Amino acid sequence: MNTLIKLEIQRTLRNKKFMFFSVLYPAGLYLLIAGGASSTELVKGTDLTLPLLMMVSMASFGAITAVLVGNSERIAKEREKGWVRQLRLTALPGRGYVTAKVASAAVVSLPSILVVFLIAALVKDVRFDAAWQWFALTGAIWAGSIVFAALGVAVGYLATGDAVRPITFIIYFGLSILGGLWMPITTFPKWLQDVAEWMPTHAYAALGQSIELGNGPEVKDVAVLVAYLVIFGGAAAWLYRKDTRKA
Amino acid sequence: MMEYMTTTAHMSTGDRHRTGSPVVSFTNVSKSFGDVRAVSELDLQLRAGETVALLGPNGAGKSSTLDLLLGLRNPDAGRVEVFGTTPQQAIARGKVGAMLQSGGLMEDVKVRELVKLACDLHPRAYPVDQVLEHADLRDIADRMVNKLSGGQEQRVRFALATAGANELVVLDEPTTGMDVSARQAFWGVMRAQARAGRAILFATHYLEEADAIADRVIVLHRGRVIADGSAAEIKAKAGARRIVFDLDGYIGEGALRELPFLSSLEISGRTVRIQSHDADATVHALYGLGLYPRNLEVAGLGLEQAFIAITDAATAEEAAK
Ligand SMILES: Nc1ncnc2c1ncn2[C@@H]1O[C@H](COP(=O)(O)OP(=O)(O)OP(=O)(O)O)[C@@H](O)[C@H]1O
Ligand SMILES: [Mg+2]
Repeated sequence: MNTLIKLEIQRTLRNKKFMFFSVLYPAGLYLLIAGGASSTELVKGTDLTLPLLMMVSMASFGAITAVLVGNSERIAKEREKGWVRQLRLTALPGRGYVTAKVASAAVVSLPSILVVFLIAALVKDVRFDAAWQWFALTGAIWAGSIVFAALGVAVGYLATGDAVRPITFIIYFGLSILGGLWMPITTFPKWLQDVAEWMPTHAYAALGQSIELGNGPEVKDVAVLVAYLVIFGGAAAWLYRKDTRKA
Repeated sequence: MMEYMTTTAHMSTGDRHRTGSPVVSFTNVSKSFGDVRAVSELDLQLRAGETVALLGPNGAGKSSTLDLLLGLRNPDAGRVEVFGTTPQQAIARGKVGAMLQSGGLMEDVKVRELVKLACDLHPRAYPVDQVLEHADLRDIADRMVNKLSGGQEQRVRFALATAGANELVVLDEPTTGMDVSARQAFWGVMRAQARAGRAILFATHYLEEADAIADRVIVLHRGRVIADGSAAEIKAKAGARRIVFDLDGYIGEGALRELPFLSSLEISGRTVRIQSHDADATVHALYGLGLYPRNLEVAGLGLEQAFIAITDAATAEEAAK
């Protein structure tokens, strides 16, 4: 099982094209959006600057995209080529497969987060009051991305062939909008706000925000993320073992 | 070269042959894909130590049967058991090694890395270097898997299937794309596995392989078993033997046609070729005609001709219905 994890990480690192785009495009987007913004002016209603706010949301957004889209598409492709059929003829348990896939996704998401932070600090002079916030943010966004990596594995098993990309994006946009990543959930009707609060994306964003403000992560957000990790990971492992359709 | 595979051969094949609980058991198994009945009410038992060839024309249901056996698909009806449990459980215990007809390989990894993975995942694995050696992969162990030729890929699949001590080895058209020496090495390893008491089930279109390797041949046709026995029994079931001889002087075709048990007659120049259901009686009658056949040869049909005869008969029977 450890060999599989190591091998999955190794071959992800070898896939230069995939690494290049996954790691650099969140940083590119960040420069595009926050590039012209003032580094001192505060965003209305907060005591944070736009470059700082955007740094956290771009790092989160980049991490989710890389692991969710990356995993689901790569897995669907592997299933189609028949590698997963061969792998299922070994004694590897489902959780081993999911762990390996999540680990290889984490290898992609960490540098993408770090590059966004680096660019923000160098180009837009983003600073925090305390140094621990940098580490806490990196850790929180990275750890949170694991939840979406597990979701990516599950989606890679639910969909086949050409359907993977549209299904991934529907889930991805759905979760982003519902979780309030694109507009504050205070603009939602009450019932939708109640739903949004329990979205993994909402808990994920909230984790980063509370660290930005100098507070520690909320227990509820962590609990929600852990619950989703168990659900997505369990579903992925189950789908891996039960997949007898396209196999 | 293959010591390690025979070390477990202390139990002689004879002891294990056709004894004990079945290694594989299909009970009334059916599987359809839409309108296509790939496997139809199949009953099949495999016992320890048997080497079984699965024959059948394209689309006969060989791969589907093996997929069911390996738990890669679920049957619509009936029950598949491997070592008395579900296929999945048997595989999780490392009892089954398999080579698929269309098994993709992991990309962006080296041959050695992939073989090492298979070894690490197997509960009773052989050393990586030995597995590489047996599959004749030592020279290309550091190549990337996605840069290999078709036959080399096939050897990698073979290595994955034999990474550990399995009790059953399942192979779907294993030697397709292999060159002559790779093929010989492959069957050499398989023979050693069979001697060590492993059950081997392989699907193939190379009938000479079935004839030379298998001690039991199963012929599938449209998802059903139409013949099951030793290669000799299959040939006998096809019924006919071949008689070839030369005649000098006038050949009376009419008289030859009257020979008993004749199923076909072909004359080219001086040479007469006959297929007969009872070669002894036919040859006896031949001398009875006062003829003097020279260079007389009587031979059984090859497995290939027997196979064609059996499947043609099954097709005709189905058409008649
Ligand atoms: N996934 C599938 N979807 C639809 N039909 C299928 C599928 N797999 C197999 N079939 C059909 O089931 C039948 C049996 O196919 P199978 O692959 O088992 O044949 P086979 O004996 O292995 O043939 P070959 O010698 O060509 O490998 C064929 O008619 C095939 O078209
Ligand atoms: Mg086949």
